[in-house]
Amino acid sequence: MVSDRTWRNLTVELKRSHLAKLGVVLILFILLAATFAPLLAPHDPKQTNPGEANLPPLGFSETRTESTTVMEDGEITIVEEQVQVNAQMEHPLGTDHVGRDVLSRALFGARTSLIVGIGGTALAAMFGVIVGLVSGFYGGRIDDALMRIADIMLAFPSLVLAIALTGLWGQQSESIPDPFHELGLAPDMPAEIVIPSTIIAVVALVNWVWFARVARGEALSVRNEEYVKAARSVGASDLEILWRHVLPNSLTPILVLGTIQVAAIILLESSLSFLGFSGANLSWGLDIAQGRDYLSSSWWIATVPGAAIVIAVVGINLVGDWLRDALDPGIDQGEGGV
Amino acid sequence: MSLGRFLVRRTLQGLLVVWGVITVVFVLRFLSPGDPVTFVAPLDASPELRQRIAADLGLNKPMHVQYADYLAGLLQGDMGYSYQRGLPANDIVLSRVPATVELAVASSIVAIVLSIPLGVVAATRRHSPADYGATLFSLVGISTPNFWLGIMLVLFLSVQLDLFPTSQRPVGFLEAWTHLIRFKLAGPSLSVPLDAGAFADDMGTWLWHITLPAVTLGTYFTALITRLTRSGMLDELGKEYVTAARAKGLPETLVRYRHALRNTLIPILTVLGLQLGTLIGGAVITEAVFAWPGLGSLLIDAINSRDWPIIQAALIVIGVSFVVINVAVDVVYGYLNPQVGYE
Amino acid sequence: MPRDLLSVRDLTTRFFTQEGQVNAVEKVSFDVEEGEVLGIVGESGSGKSVTALSLVDLVEDPGRIVTGEINYRNSELAESASENAPDAVDGDFVDVRKLPERHRRALRGPDFATIFQDPASSLNPSLPVGEQIAEAVEVQRRASANPRSTRSRTQSYGLGKFLLGTALPGQGYLTEESKARAIELLELVGIPDPAERAEALPHEYSGGMLQRAMIAQALAGEPELLIADEPTTALDVTIQAQILDILGDIQEETGMTILLITHNLGVIARMCDRVGVMYAGEIVERGSLEDVFDNPVHPYTQGLLGSIPDLESAGGRLQPIEGNVPSLLDQEMEDRCYFADRCPNAMEECLEKPPEFPGPGSPDHAAKCYLADHPYEPEQALPEDYFDDESSDTTVGRDDGKDDASGEGVSADD
Repeated sequence: MVSDRTWRNLTVELKRSHLAKLGVVLILFILLAATFAPLLAPHDPKQTNPGEANLPPLGFSETRTESTTVMEDGEITIVEEQVQVNAQMEHPLGTDHVGRDVLSRALFGARTSLIVGIGGTALAAMFGVIVGLVSGFYGGRIDDALMRIADIMLAFPSLVLAIALTGLWGQQSESIPDPFHELGLAPDMPAEIVIPSTIIAVVALVNWVWFARVARGEALSVRNEEYVKAARSVGASDLEILWRHVLPNSLTPILVLGTIQVAAIILLESSLSFLGFSGANLSWGLDIAQGRDYLSSSWWIATVPGAAIVIAVVGINLVGDWLRDALDPGIDQGEGGV
Repeated sequence: MSLGRFLVRRTLQGLLVVWGVITVVFVLRFLSPGDPVTFVAPLDASPELRQRIAADLGLNKPMHVQYADYLAGLLQGDMGYSYQRGLPANDIVLSRVPATVELAVASSIVAIVLSIPLGVVAATRRHSPADYGATLFSLVGISTPNFWLGIMLVLFLSVQLDLFPTSQRPVGFLEAWTHLIRFKLAGPSLSVPLDAGAFADDMGTWLWHITLPAVTLGTYFTALITRLTRSGMLDELGKEYVTAARAKGLPETLVRYRHALRNTLIPILTVLGLQLGTLIGGAVITEAVFAWPGLGSLLIDAINSRDWPIIQAALIVIGVSFVVINVAVDVVYGYLNPQVGYE
Repeated sequence: MPRDLLSVRDLTTRFFTQEGQVNAVEKVSFDVEEGEVLGIVGESGSGKSVTALSLVDLVEDPGRIVTGEINYRNSELAESASENAPDAVDGDFVDVRKLPERHRRALRGPDFATIFQDPASSLNPSLPVGEQIAEAVEVQRRASANPRSTRSRTQSYGLGKFLLGTALPGQGYLTEESKARAIELLELVGIPDPAERAEALPHEYSGGMLQRAMIAQALAGEPELLIADEPTTALDVTIQAQILDILGDIQEETGMTILLITHNLGVIARMCDRVGVMYAGEIVERGSLEDVFDNPVHPYTQGLLGSIPDLESAGGRLQPIEGNVPSLLDQEMEDRCYFADRCPNAMEECLEKPPEFPGPGSPDHAAKCYLADHPYEPEQALPEDYFDDESSDTTVGRDDGKDDASGEGVSADD
């Protein structure tokens, strides 16, 4: 499937580019965090603990004014005192306004982001590639009709469309059991992984067009190649030709586009959950939205998940650059954005 | 193809897009959970009252009749009345347009003014600190969600340093100008004084309030255009016509700007055309962060309260303006790239 | 006695690539007499185009001129340079490599003009041809309006002006006079309807017409020396003759000096007064056209000439020299005659050290070969299979990016 030359290009480029190495490291970091979140997280990310709310991350301490109401001789007085709040080892990145562990939420949030990013991209790629291949391979009316639909999709801001669809459609989600919990390795952690199915469907719906365009272009260029004609002349069916000859040729650009799309969809998912249109209850965007109300007192609640998004997206973009530089699939920078 | 025919064709295509949007939104209304009447009627409304409300809103008619009614209304410029406020959707939506336009234009200006020189410097001084800085900035810039960037700006510049307001738009750009324009319209005979002081005050307030939202929305584009300019310039500067231009004695500035940058901007314009949706989408999010009273915050409020006429009107306005900007980009593209012209 | 216009000494240009150092041009010396057409001929990859680019200081990264003098005779320049760069001046000659960069750049156009191999990629695809020629006129016009300042060539044209110029007509760089001059120049090189064609974009021109336009552009600065780097290679055979005619006519009318670089011996024979033969980054033989063509000394030159098809003989087949131009990678270059592996007359001494090339003051006809000093000694000949083992190593491609147009060998198609 992947030729030796492709591998060589990839390794040569990886050796040459420090940024590509950084990208691989960042992606591995996020992938490991997401996969082993139940083992790595110090606490149940959903466990509230009002007594330990708003704890700062390690290395920081906060001075807060706490008022207590004192009743004395039938008179109510409010006593204000300055309280020093120190970080606790148990909560390395602090806690949020209801005492949930910020680090644990960031680790579990990586799962949601990657599930939506990878799932949405896969769905969009599947649909888009089929449409694009059929469109480019058959041409004619089918091509015209499908590409007109694609034009219409491109001619409307996809984020606005995604907001409207998720906001109005509602946000269903499915749950699957968490294998670590099942195996008894992480008994204190949530028993299920939430898969925000509506969001995945919506991001795929607003992003399939990019894949369709790329796949169509490849199909168009392969359609008239001699070996395709030869295959047809010996009686290969269209489906066989598409599967055996056209699809393999499209894989490189689709892979590169897919990488960029994962980054774009992670950003899209975080925007939707920031607006409250998310099916998941553990999401970086959601946590940023909640932390926003506590900016003046607890800056870390919004800061940590945002930094996590930046790390993930920088990593994926760097890997996308690496693949593009090494494989040269003819996809422009900036194409395929949200 | 001539410019005229091109415009006609693109306008027709644009109408098709807007019609598609209208239809999708209309269908969505029937598919999405929640009866609009529950959002309009009082909580204790009797079934009869609900019936009357539904009839008033035309919601009890069959779907295709409602659709036809809606399209007929649109053609007459009537987008219905807001369920929440009872005002014409036209008025509500149009009153929000200036704020969004201000935001989009301001951030585009920020982006273009910063990014092109940055990209040019990065490309012409390869491996300099400026190049590394520009590369790092553009990488992080395209990877940062703008709502988080906005929140971080608020955290540092508003909450910690108290330099900028956290939100709101107390005065609009056009409102500020009324201090000068009113004088002109009224004519000298009415001797309404030219209130330069009030104008300066309002402009200052406006600038002060729009800075953070504009930076928030503009950062992604600054980063993107910087990246595109840098790689495009590197490409172009390596081409033979650049060597030939130098060989004929052209000074480096002319080679860079008149030749290389010009040819770099042509493909950048295409990508920007494709990315305009991101600008509009980003504006929606930015408005939500800064409580900026534009179309985006209106749309989100309307979605949350299922105010269908407003949702539809807002989406139509967004769709139409998007199409218009896209056509404008194509016209500029054809002008800059006579090789391609208007296709 | 004609005087030298240009005197190049020990010019060495190397490319410092990731794969290693490439010695593209190695200690090349030659003189160009005023008013003559000097030809430099060699196979693809022999370093002749890099030599041309070195003269006008347009070698690009990772290439660099390492050493050498490029002495240019111009008494005005010598006078003005004696103030700010006295060590560059020697009588009427100025070593342009010792000039400050901005002064060196100012030579492009009015002193040295260049025509490149592929006119289609040498013109900006998105600007009208006339405008590009007008630029070349305009830059000289502005320079002569204020000769003291090299800055005036820019005339404060920068990013702001460029952006303004795209938005507002009349804010651009060009003036009506220079546009009119561009049309005159187009007419001069025989382009019909020059006023109309000036508005056209390069892709609306045919290859031959474009090369005419390139010549017009080169003439804009009324240069002292015209460097024509493979001016006909990218063109059809019939068009080639037209372009050569134009160059010949212009040379005759103006007495302009031309340095003609080509792999095509027919072009050399048709145009040149004197000729230098390049091989593996070095000049291996030089002399008058008659000397070199009628009495070639270097076996390489002999091989080149032998590869001209003898049209009178029945077969008329081309006899290419066996083998390839060697890799110019420094680490693969041995201290010997670089042609020895392809040379039919290679001797043992050819492997010991490379032969000397006669320095300045030596006879006009000279070759970098032991055969120039003494006749071939068959008893010293190398065994026939001596180089067989390494023949596969010598085909590694070079990476100077300039000469690899179509893998052309030396040919004589005229």
